[in-house]
Amino acid sequence: MRINKTILTIGLPALLMFALLAFFRQSGNAVEAPKAPPAPVAVDSTKCIAQTEYMRANHMKVLYEWRNSSVREGNRVFIAQNGSRFQKSLKTCLGCHATNRLFCFNCHMYANVRPKCWNCHLSPMETP
Amino acid sequence: MNKERRDFIRKTGLGVLAGICASSGLLPKFSLEETVLPAWDEKPVPGKIRWGMLIDTRKCLNECSECVAKCHFVHNVPDFGNRKDEVKWIWKSSYEHVFPTSTQQFRTSDVLLRSYIAMCNHCADAPCTRACPTEATFKRWDGIVSMDYHRCIGCRFCMAACPYGSRSFNWRDPREGIKLASVDYPTREQGVVEKCNFCSDRLVRGLIPACAESCPQKAFTFGDLNDPKSDIRALLESNNTMQRKPELGTKPSVFYII
Ligand code: SF4
Ligand code: SF4
Repeated sequence: MRINKTILTIGLPALLMFALLAFFRQSGNAVEAPKAPPAPVAVDSTKCIAQTEYMRANHMKVLYEWRNSSVREGNRVFIAQNGSRFQKSLKTCLGCHATNRLFCFNCHMYANVRPKCWNCHLSPMETP
Repeated sequence: MNKERRDFIRKTGLGVLAGICASSGLLPKFSLEETVLPAWDEKPVPGKIRWGMLIDTRKCLNECSECVAKCHFVHNVPDFGNRKDEVKWIWKSSYEHVFPTSTQQFRTSDVLLRSYIAMCNHCADAPCTRACPTEATFKRWDGIVSMDYHRCIGCRFCMAACPYGSRSFNWRDPREGIKLASVDYPTREQGVVEKCNFCSDRLVRGLIPACAESCPQKAFTFGDLNDPKSDIRALLESNNTMQRKPELGTKPSVFYII
């Protein structure tokens, strides 16, 4: 009984607060929300330069190739397999991927690799 | 239905979808550079273009340093406030410092009192590119002497080789010295050399160099030295011009009207 009472005294206000919070959050959102439902930005493959599986394994090779051919030969255009064209720039990637601020860091930390890109380039955490 | 047709329908379908999404604001507008491509979509032909700069020193005002400020902001050039750590891409100096080997006797006082803009000359025969052991500094297809900061090992041979002092070494982490950062261009890191890139970053976006754009006096003319019809060639034709230390045979691409 005692326990039930404590649960009630703590739980009820907590529940109320959560409900209130949710309400305010929703009403806050409702003002700014676009009319259409949010787009599946992260999974939009029309904007990705290659398949996710391929990029997961080979992004470093892609970036290496991009860097050398754009900086040294001036060939700045990448033509994807489906024919779409991209600028060979880290900005092309971060244009989408910076929506996840931890995009590069999560995996690199897990795999314990420390590429030096962010000594000079803006990382997903720093992109505006 | 054959495969090609299926592919075609899929692509156009997706394209239309993406278009609708973008116009209705579903896909975010990129906060950075757009991935849409302008005209430069071919691999450039080496030697076709040779970018050059002409500076009309008669127009340059002594008290103005807009070009320096604009360039250093656009390219995230650090400022530590002391000479030892100084990094510079473009700077203003006196006649005897910019043209130390040209005649200084009995010049008009106006010429001797003016301040002159100095920057990398993007020499046609650049000694720095020959000194660099890693080819981090190299001659580009369009005449620009470029730096590939990824490859620079900080040996500073290029600094010793450049007769114009156009190169600076990053003794410290340059990010500490940047008060207002520009997001359009990366920074450098400690231990690499840097210098003017003739705004190759802006040229690919169809913009003229930052110094030329910022000058309120329109003292800069930027153009293709290989194109006989360019503005810069017209000015070179109609004016008596000077290069810095021409006797060294580096063939600078920066010219001065005195
Ligand atoms: S001015 Fe100096 S850094 Fe620039 S190209 Fe000539 S030698 Fe190289
Ligand atoms: S400091 Fe860098 S750019 Fe200069 S010569 Fe050495 S490796 Fe080349």
